[in-house]
Amino acid sequence: MSKGNVSRFQMVTIAVALLIAAFIVLVLLGVVTHSPLGVLIECLLSEEIQFAVRLSIITSVVSTLLCILVAVPVAYALARYTFPGKSLMNMVMDIPMALPPLVAGVGLLLFFGVSPIGKALDAVGLTFVFTPLGIIVAQFFVNLPYMLRVTRSTFQGVNPRYEYVAKTLGCTDAQAFWRVTLPMSWNGLLAGSVITWSKGIGEFGAALMLAGATRMKTETLPLSLFLNMSTGKLEFAISAATILIMISIVSLYVFERYGGATHVY
Amino acid sequence: MLTIDSVSKSLGEFSLTDVSLSVGDGEYFIILGPTGAGKTILLETIAGIYSPDAGRILLNGRDITDVPARERNVGMVYQDYMLFPHLTVEANIGFGLKSRRVDPAFIRGKVQEGADLLNISHLLHRYPGTLSGGEQQRAAIARALVMEPEALLLDEPLSALDVKTRETLRAELARIHEATGTTIIHITHNFEEVFDLADRVAIMHGGDVVQVGTPEEIFQRPNSDFVAGFVGVENLFCGEGSPDGTVTVGDLRIRVENGMPGPVSLAIRPEDILLSKKILPENGKNVFSGRVGTVRQNGGLVRVCIDAGIPFRVTLTRQGFEEAGFTPGDAVYLAFRPSAAHVYPSGVQEGA
Repeated sequence: MSKGNVSRFQMVTIAVALLIAAFIVLVLLGVVTHSPLGVLIECLLSEEIQFAVRLSIITSVVSTLLCILVAVPVAYALARYTFPGKSLMNMVMDIPMALPPLVAGVGLLLFFGVSPIGKALDAVGLTFVFTPLGIIVAQFFVNLPYMLRVTRSTFQGVNPRYEYVAKTLGCTDAQAFWRVTLPMSWNGLLAGSVITWSKGIGEFGAALMLAGATRMKTETLPLSLFLNMSTGKLEFAISAATILIMISIVSLYVFERYGGATHVY
Repeated sequence: MLTIDSVSKSLGEFSLTDVSLSVGDGEYFIILGPTGAGKTILLETIAGIYSPDAGRILLNGRDITDVPARERNVGMVYQDYMLFPHLTVEANIGFGLKSRRVDPAFIRGKVQEGADLLNISHLLHRYPGTLSGGEQQRAAIARALVMEPEALLLDEPLSALDVKTRETLRAELARIHEATGTTIIHITHNFEEVFDLADRVAIMHGGDVVQVGTPEEIFQRPNSDFVAGFVGVENLFCGEGSPDGTVTVGDLRIRVENGMPGPVSLAIRPEDILLSKKILPENGKNVFSGRVGTVRQNGGLVRVCIDAGIPFRVTLTRQGFEEAGFTPGDAVYLAFRPSAAHVYPSGVQEGA
C-alpha cells in the first residue's frame, strides 16, 4: 500500500540507492580507519611514501600539462572545423580510453623498447622504459582521451558566433580563440585538467608495464600500494591508499563544481 | 555603397543563389524573409565570416570578396547579443579598439562616447550576465559602433526582446542611424520595424532576393505571389488582363492602374477595400455587390469574407464593423480604387 505520495516503487528505488551509497562509504572508511592514526602518520612521513607522493605529483602534473597542451588544439579542430577523416580521427583518439591500461602499456613498451623510433629516442637520451619518464608517457597516453573529450565538448558549448563577432572587431582566428573562446572555456578546462590529473595520479597498469615497479625509482602511490601489499607491509599500502582516496574525493568535488558550468554559454 | 554582385554560397541546408543587392551610403536597408530564406548567411557573408562560392562584394568601391572579416570594417550585431560574458560592458565595447592597439586613453574616450550614445554609461562596470536583454543589446550595438564601421549589420536585433523594450530600442535605432549616418542592413520578420526604420526593403525567399523597393512599394505592389502572401495581401486572384486596363477575374471586370495583357495575378490588400450596405458611387472606382460570409474578430480588427462571385477578404476596424451592423448573409457593396489593385504577370513565384 502506498502512503501519501510515496509509492512502494519509489521507496524501493531510494532504498537501493541508500544501500549502495552506504556500501561505498563503508569500503572507503574501512581503508582509512584500518591503521591506528599514529601508525598511519608514521607511514605517511616515511621516506618511501614521501618518495611515492613526490614522484606521483611530479609525473601527474607533467602528464596533465602535456595532455592540456595537446588536447586544446586537437579538441578545437574537432569542435570547429570539418576535414576529411574527422570522424575516424575522433574514434581513434578515444581508443586508449576503452583499452585495458595493461594493453596500452604493452604497446608503449614495444614502441619505446624495440621500435626504431623508440631506439632513436633512447639513443639521444630519452629513455622511457623502466624510468620515471615512462610513467609520464603512460599517464599521458591513457588519460589524453579524457582531457580531449571534456575540452572538445567545452569548445562545442561556446557558440561560434562569439568568434565571428570577435573577427568583425579585428581579431585573427588565433586572437579570437585567445581572447574569447579560451577564457569562456576556463571552467571546462579546469574540470578536464582536474579529472585528468586525478586519473594520472592513480594510473597503474600502463605505468607498470612501461616503467616497471622498482622501489624508490618508479614507485608512484599506486605502485607503492601494489609493492607493499605484495610484500606484506600492510600499513604502508594503507597509507598510500588513504592518500589516493583523499585525492579522488577532492578532484571529484572540483570536477562537479566547475564541470557542471561547462555549457553556461 | 555596398554592392553584392551575383553572390552564391552553399552551406548544407542553407544557401544563397545568385544574390545581387545594392545598398546606398547611409541607407537604412531592411531584409525581410521567412526562416531559412538565407538572410543570416547573407549578413555573415557580407561580414566576411564565409567567403562566397561565386560573385563579388564591393564596399565603397573596394572589392572585399576575399578580405578577411577583421579587415572589412563591417560591424555585426546578433539577436542574442553575443556579448563576451567574461568581460565587463566597458571591455566589451572597447574590445575591437584594443585589437587595433590604439592608446588606452583614446579607447576609454571612444567607449564613453559609444556608451553615451546608447545610454548605458552607468552600466560600464557590469558584466553582461547581470544586464537585461535591452541593456545587453545596447552594449552590443555600442561595441559595433565604436569601430565606426562602414556598414552595420543587424541580425534580428530586436527579436529576443519583450514588446515594450523592442519599441524603445526601435526608436533608438532610428535615432542612432540619424545621428551617425551609418549604413545599416537590418534583418527582421517584423513589419513594424520595416515601416518605422527602412528606407528600402528586400524580400528574401529560398536563398534569393525576390523584390527590392520602398516599404510602400513592397506592401502595395508585390511582384510575385510569394511576396504578396508574405506581406499579407489576402486577396490574390488569377485573371486575364486586357489592353484597356482591366483584368477579368471570374465574371468581374476589375479596373487596374498598371494593366497588362495576358494571364496575370491581381493583388488587393484587405484594408484597401471599402464596405457598405448602401450602393457606393463609382467615381472611377471598382464597385461590386456581394453577400457577407464569415466574420472573424481579431483583436481590434474584424475580417469579413464577401462573396461577390469571387471571394474578397476585407479588414475593418471593430468600431466601423459594429456601426455598419454587418451580419452574415447581408447584401453589401464593396469598392476599391484601381490603384489598390496591383497586377503582375501570372506564374511569377519568386520574382524571376
